[in-house]
Amino acid sequence: MSPAAIERTMLESACSKSSAESRRCFANLRGVQWRIDLGILPSPSSSTNDDLRRVTADSRRRYASLRRCMLVDPHLPKDGSNSADLAIDNPLSQNPDSTWGRFFRNAELEKTVDTDLSRLYPEHGNYFQSPGCQGMLRRILLLWCLRHPEYGYRQGMHELLAPLLYVLHVDVELLSKVRKQYEDHFTDKFDGLSFQDNDLMYNFDFKKYLDSMEDEIGSHGNAAKVGSLDELDPEIQTIVLLSDAYGAEGELGIVLSEKFMEHDAYCMFDSLMNGAYGAVAMAQFFSPSPAGGSHSGLPPVIEASAALYHLLSVVDSSLYSHLIELGVEPQYFALRWLRVLFGREFSLENLLLIWDEIFAADKNKLEKGAEDDVVSTFGVFSSPQGALISAFAVSMILYLRSLLLATENATTCLQRLLNFPENIDLRKLVDKAKSLQALALGPSTSFFSPRFGEAYNHNKSMAVRSHTLSCDSVSPKTPLNMVPESYWEEKWRVLHKAEELKDGSSGKQNPTSKKGWTEKVRLTLSRTASDPSPAKVGRGKDHKPYVRRHLLEDLSRELGFDEDSEKAGCDGVSGQKDHICAAVGVEDRDCLNKYFTCAAEERCPSGNAGSEENSSVFSDPSSPLSGANNHENDSEKSSVASNLSVDETDDHPEVIQEDATLPVSHLPNDATLISGSNNETTEKSVTAPKERKLLSGKFQWFWKFGRSNVDEETCEKGSGAIDVTKSANDAGTQSSAICSSVDGSCNSYSSTKGDVVDQNMMGTLRNLGHSMLEHIQVIELVFQQDRGQVGSLENFSKNVIVGKGQVTAMTALKELRKISNLLSEM
Amino acid sequence: MVLVLAIGDLHIPHRAADLPPKFKSMLVPGKIQHIICTGNLCIKEVHDYLKSLCPDLHITRGEYDEDSRYPETKTLTIGQFKLGICHGHQVIPWGDLDSLAMLQRQLDVDILIAGHTHQFKAYKHEGGVVINPGSATGAYSSFTYDVNPSFVLMDIDGLRVVVYVYELIDGEVKVDKIDFKKTATTRS
Repeated sequence: MSPAAIERTMLESACSKSSAESRRCFANLRGVQWRIDLGILPSPSSSTNDDLRRVTADSRRRYASLRRCMLVDPHLPKDGSNSADLAIDNPLSQNPDSTWGRFFRNAELEKTVDTDLSRLYPEHGNYFQSPGCQGMLRRILLLWCLRHPEYGYRQGMHELLAPLLYVLHVDVELLSKVRKQYEDHFTDKFDGLSFQDNDLMYNFDFKKYLDSMEDEIGSHGNAAKVGSLDELDPEIQTIVLLSDAYGAEGELGIVLSEKFMEHDAYCMFDSLMNGAYGAVAMAQFFSPSPAGGSHSGLPPVIEASAALYHLLSVVDSSLYSHLIELGVEPQYFALRWLRVLFGREFSLENLLLIWDEIFAADKNKLEKGAEDDVVSTFGVFSSPQGALISAFAVSMILYLRSLLLATENATTCLQRLLNFPENIDLRKLVDKAKSLQALALGPSTSFFSPRFGEAYNHNKSMAVRSHTLSCDSVSPKTPLNMVPESYWEEKWRVLHKAEELKDGSSGKQNPTSKKGWTEKVRLTLSRTASDPSPAKVGRGKDHKPYVRRHLLEDLSRELGFDEDSEKAGCDGVSGQKDHICAAVGVEDRDCLNKYFTCAAEERCPSGNAGSEENSSVFSDPSSPLSGANNHENDSEKSSVASNLSVDETDDHPEVIQEDATLPVSHLPNDATLISGSNNETTEKSVTAPKERKLLSGKFQWFWKFGRSNVDEETCEKGSGAIDVTKSANDAGTQSSAICSSVDGSCNSYSSTKGDVVDQNMMGTLRNLGHSMLEHIQVIELVFQQDRGQVGSLENFSKNVIVGKGQVTAMTALKELRKISNLLSEM
Repeated sequence: MVLVLAIGDLHIPHRAADLPPKFKSMLVPGKIQHIICTGNLCIKEVHDYLKSLCPDLHITRGEYDEDSRYPETKTLTIGQFKLGICHGHQVIPWGDLDSLAMLQRQLDVDILIAGHTHQFKAYKHEGGVVINPGSATGAYSSFTYDVNPSFVLMDIDGLRVVVYVYELIDGEVKVDKIDFKKTATTRS
């Protein structure tokens, strides 16, 4: 067999055949192993030793040429000619092209780099602070930064580079140790030998040669007596093979070489930073601008920190919510963790183990499956290596779980996170990280589509919550703790008030989108909780006033919205809210107009499309100013119409039509209530009209009650009535949202009035509760009356009682009671 | 790679208002390690300005300088070279090479920087180098006609010094370069 083949088989036998184990063949030669992992060297199972050498040599040559051209000596005349243009090439020249200019720029960069290098790893100062090492680090960093001017030099890059150089150094030291031990395999001492007899090689007595060698080196106490390469340990074998100077490329190809440590370190650093071969690009973490492919407009490191938090929320939501509550944003600590790949958190030895794992992780970008309509916005999750990094960070956070949960302020939390304890069981951390990595790559995270709006963090926290809740069924292995509803209600109310107070019309879109979020939260919460979903009261009720009908319609419209838009986002809801707010903010004549348009719309139900249209339409009324009347009319029309399409029952349109003739005598104050009633009537249209009739009856009564009060209070009452009517609806889960939305609208109404006083609110809410209670009683009465009663009201000839309506009505009644209790408690 | 600026005879504010703007734009802090000033600044403001360019400032007294604490002559060592500074009005005849060489031998320096004539000169003789940076503002001189603003930048690198001369001729900055090498044996 040829020597190359021998070598190859030896190398392969030294390493195991399977690729999974191939990485362990160089287990103690981290320099080589990491170079393979980072993609600089081909893996030994798929390449010969010669290939290895060639690649090594190429990469070193590249670095050498880079060094030669980048490091500037201004004394050397350019182009070898002595007649350099002195006007340009003098030291004080302002010309950016001059060699002196470049020299000074490099000097600046070098100064920055030096400030960091002088503080590098003081505890291992005997290596890292040695001038040779410092010089190498400085040159490598300088050249990399000159090569990548878009990144420049950032603090932290030196900490990424230092361990790389260190592992190379360790390898070289190991090599020299082995060399001393097995010197005869490294040296060729043919020259000193005297050949007896012939000089012909085939007669050459190898045995005698080795014996003579042994005699020569017998004086070295450490020389081991080994006959041939095969007798050596596999490890030693690999070391010997890798340091053979006779392979391809000669000395340049020696894989473990002290002379070319700088070159190799540069290649490793370059590959690490650039994310070559699919690995996570560390350089991205240093750039302040958003990455090209990012879905959010955020710098990658912020995005990655967010990803980290998201993973944490999936895994341990109580810790997550605790951190969010304290206001500990992920990038406070994650910036340092990610930028230096945990270099500052662990000792050097531990860090090497961690990096072993990280570099060994699979780097291929995941294929995004067909089910991922919602593209994962976390670029860092797109490869297992990225996922492992995030998972490791999360496992670190989890390690500190009890400490973090015990703290009550953000500073202590951060302190604990930033001073990771020294004596830790690293193996456990890594194993946990691996399990979390699987989670991070699983389906649950791909459902996530956070919105990185202006109120980024707030949105995010809310969003994450709601989505984790909605993902409940998807990730059953992670038990989610329910945040008590009062927390969310409160949050939502506060949010609501803040938004409305902020800006009536201009800021509508965003606050309403936020509202949509909170609404969604309420939605999902109410879905999972059994609490107020007052949507089931009053099924099959009779006689409702027209106003009530409108209320219900609007409500059901909104519900229809929610149903459709839940996947698509909260635009519809927000649009609806906009609408409501618009209605709220509208002046008297607008109210009347709307009033009539409601009527008009109902007369012409056009089987329009679903919520998309609604949402688009509803985005229109975001400017609820008087000039936009027609707009609003149209929107209402279409929204009602579309709502009707949602209903899918023939009766309802007619019923609604008949309801259209609302008494004009209602005061302009009806605006809110009308819109509210629109809501509710639309909502109602999903269910039997009888309910509406009944409720509208109640509402009328309620309405009179309400009219006697102040505007705000009417508004409140209106919302209460709306609540009631909502409760009479079918889709109980969503009505709470409506409840909140209309409630919010009324809140906003009051706030826009500018007279909101909490006590007033409380008082009105209490009244609300009372009135609701009364409502419930009335409804119950009517409900009993209603059974079997068809078409009792003269205006509604076709009143179909939905069969199950009664049952749902009863449940809705109960929930309505609960609401009223809540309100009266306030 | 030590950059040393040799400048002098500015005569601000008596004979000139300020440095030429082109010179001023070239003189930015951070590049120069030492400044050698022959004298006749004349006021403290100019001293402060030069100090802002580089903290290591060496000045000798010129006859119109308002600060009387500057020494008559000064010597310093930069790298392998010994430099001597003197304003030059003390050496008579003004600007005479032999007399300056005498001063150079007296001070025992490799490079002597002297001014007063408002004219750039760079001599090399067997003992060393004599450099006259001229007047940085092109101030009037009673015995020199057509004074051009000029100053000198020395790049001292081991045993070799490269002298860059910056002159403002007809509104344009002209740069010239002179190489001097010190023989290791002279001046132990």
